[in-house]
Amino acid sequence: MDIIIIEGLAFALPLFIIAIGGIYSERSGITNLALEGFLGFGAFIGAAAVTAFTRGNVAGIEVQMFFVALLFSVIGGAVFAMLHALLCIPFKANQVISGVVINILAVALTAFFTSQINSVIFGKPTNKFVLGVCEKFTVPGISKIPILGAFFTDVYYYVPIIIVVALFASYVLYKSRFGLRLRACGDNPHAVDAAGVDVSKVRFIAVMISGALSGLGGICFAYSISTSFSPSIYAGYGFLAIAALIFGNWKIGPTLGACLLFGFARSAGYKLAQVLELASTFSDIIMILPYVLTLLLLMFFSSTNRPPRALGEIYDKGKR
Amino acid sequence: MDEYIVEMRHITKRFPGVVANDDVSVSIKKGEIFALLGENGAGKSTLMSMLFGMYEPDEGEIFIRGKKVKITSPAQATQLNIGMVHQHFKLVENYTITENIVLGQEPPSRFMGFLPSVDIKGSNKKIAELSKRYGLEVDPRKKIEDISVSTRQRVEILKMLYREAEILIFDEPTAVLTPQEIEFLLDIIRELRNSGKTIILITHKLEEIKKVADRCAILNRGKLVGVLDVASTTTKTMANMMVGREVSFKIEKNPANFGPEVLNVAGLTVKNQDGLQVVKNVSFSVRRGEIFAIAGVSGNGQIEVADAITGLIPASGGTISLNGNDITNSGVRERTVAGISYIPEDRQEVGLVLDFSLAENLAMKKYFREPFCEKGILNNEAFEEHGKRLIEEYDIRSGQGISTTVRSMSGGNQQKAIVAREIELSSELMIFVQPTRGLDIGAIENIHRQILAQRDAGRAILLISLELDEIIGLADTIGVMYNGEMLNIAPAETLTANQVGEYMMGVKAE
Repeated sequence: MDIIIIEGLAFALPLFIIAIGGIYSERSGITNLALEGFLGFGAFIGAAAVTAFTRGNVAGIEVQMFFVALLFSVIGGAVFAMLHALLCIPFKANQVISGVVINILAVALTAFFTSQINSVIFGKPTNKFVLGVCEKFTVPGISKIPILGAFFTDVYYYVPIIIVVALFASYVLYKSRFGLRLRACGDNPHAVDAAGVDVSKVRFIAVMISGALSGLGGICFAYSISTSFSPSIYAGYGFLAIAALIFGNWKIGPTLGACLLFGFARSAGYKLAQVLELASTFSDIIMILPYVLTLLLLMFFSSTNRPPRALGEIYDKGKR
Repeated sequence: MDEYIVEMRHITKRFPGVVANDDVSVSIKKGEIFALLGENGAGKSTLMSMLFGMYEPDEGEIFIRGKKVKITSPAQATQLNIGMVHQHFKLVENYTITENIVLGQEPPSRFMGFLPSVDIKGSNKKIAELSKRYGLEVDPRKKIEDISVSTRQRVEILKMLYREAEILIFDEPTAVLTPQEIEFLLDIIRELRNSGKTIILITHKLEEIKKVADRCAILNRGKLVGVLDVASTTTKTMANMMVGREVSFKIEKNPANFGPEVLNVAGLTVKNQDGLQVVKNVSFSVRRGEIFAIAGVSGNGQIEVADAITGLIPASGGTISLNGNDITNSGVRERTVAGISYIPEDRQEVGLVLDFSLAENLAMKKYFREPFCEKGILNNEAFEEHGKRLIEEYDIRSGQGISTTVRSMSGGNQQKAIVAREIELSSELMIFVQPTRGLDIGAIENIHRQILAQRDAGRAILLISLELDEIIGLADTIGVMYNGEMLNIAPAETLTANQVGEYMMGVKAE
């Protein structure tokens, strides 16, 4: 039981912060299918920075390097997201197509540069930056409580970071002046424009925040699930985050619920595979569990959902 | 010179294919209600959009309080204390009234003592006070999606007052309101003037101008025709100047000449989505050369009758026959081909494809036939020829002729296009639903003449309208619907407007 909670949480929170990134973009009115590309590109920048600084020799400075990776991933994600923002806002491209193209571009770019950097630094063009696993901590005392204690046992360092960032992101979205304007942009940009606020600017920033948060989530996945940066980072988590934010009705609170559900479904699936002593070739079938769950939830919840009214609409001042 | 708060001198604005404003100069005094009168597409809204910074004039100058200004954005207009209530409200639907009003000028507060945030509580109070002061009662905590159209309009007015606007522009404010709401709004406008605000009222309704305005500028096809003192001018003079020719308020009608029955509706029953009966056992018939008008207050099942006859919604009981053939279960196209023309109430949703060209829209009910379509391939030339001919014959005005996107056309010309298309079908039955809704005098006159011409040409006309004057003026036979039932059917000459009004309110026939 404990292992399900520990592993589930470790998966759910990075997913959650990526989904919040998606919420920022979509609540501002920009459809964002590019989360997958953002998280991959962000993680790539973070991993590349660590590799460049340490030349593969991280012994003794793992924690410091983890924070370096976080910082660079956030910046990398935000900068890469500008591409989506540029295409969708000033150039008025179709937002769905832009998102899909950016995902493909991210896979190609990061694979190419990973092997180039590796061949320069190590002389071997491998497609992987080895990172290791993020440090963990256990809260003394509380962790002894049955079941509840599991939430405080073997916690990855990134978990509290994500919680703080998520709280701050909720405050900005729901309490701050910027958040009020951002959410208004997703409902009726004309109203925002008439109120004297620059719609394009608000949306541009929202998409960049989306990239920054995705980069953060991406590097956390790289430091936990895969212990490295490689093309295997593109395993559909970005799309899972989109599914989570849709079940969460584009609201941060319910989205957390959806992410936890996905996280626990995934870790429970692994546990199940262990208990049933399935061959490792069969464990792949367990990997589909979150996606099957997605399909089921889609059937039941889609009808009651209400996306932002101006989502995906290109803002054109002149249109009546 | 100082008495003028707004001066617009020699303003010219061109859009592709149209000169929206041609050397227009107006001067507005502080504290007056100044009306801008003109037909749809005369350039009233464009002129005011320039004052509000949404467009910039190609030529000309704007002076506010005697100072020359260049207004490049609504934000700048707001700084100059100019506010505007747009025809289409600009409100965030899932926000509260307060949130909508403060958007863009949010009063600051501290969240948890240190994080900058928006002071919603304080704003709620402030908005409540503001709304009381101007007699615009609203509940600041209510969400826009839960309030009525007239309340939304009040929110728009409050938005201007919150921004301390001194010059208030109202763009066709009464188009969406009921008669009582209109009276109330006009009171508010007078109240605002009395408290020192300058009001600019864009409208094409003469009675409103007569009721509240002090002076009135009349535009016709982008040009300023004149500026009048309202008190000393008759509505007739204003109407003539606006349309640019003599307007007759009276409808000239030839004696009726009825032929055989075309449409027969027997025991028609229609259910809505919730399974409720909205049309209950309605029977009537329409003959050739007859205008059968259905009167009724909005929402009493009239629209459903029309939709059931044209096949847009299914009939759950009764029969509909055209020239003796039962069409109760036929498809929409079958009915069109069998001889039904339909001018729907919602011309933008049902009547037109707004992003298609005028030529395509004009051929919308014929495109599948020769010469428009030969062996499954569309023939562009046929579309063009047909479009050009109709534009010519029905005087449809548009920026770029047949290739104009219908969305960019004025409401009156959109309606002309639909009427042209439907008349060209040469159907035996023509159904007009609210054919003059939202149109100005000139366009209304035109549509009425078309309807009468079709009747005199021997077609059967079913007219559904909420305008009692229109029904009394045009109909040969009047039926009144109330709560889904047809209360009374009688020849028009046996009924007075008052009697029809009583039936509309549900007073049963003896």
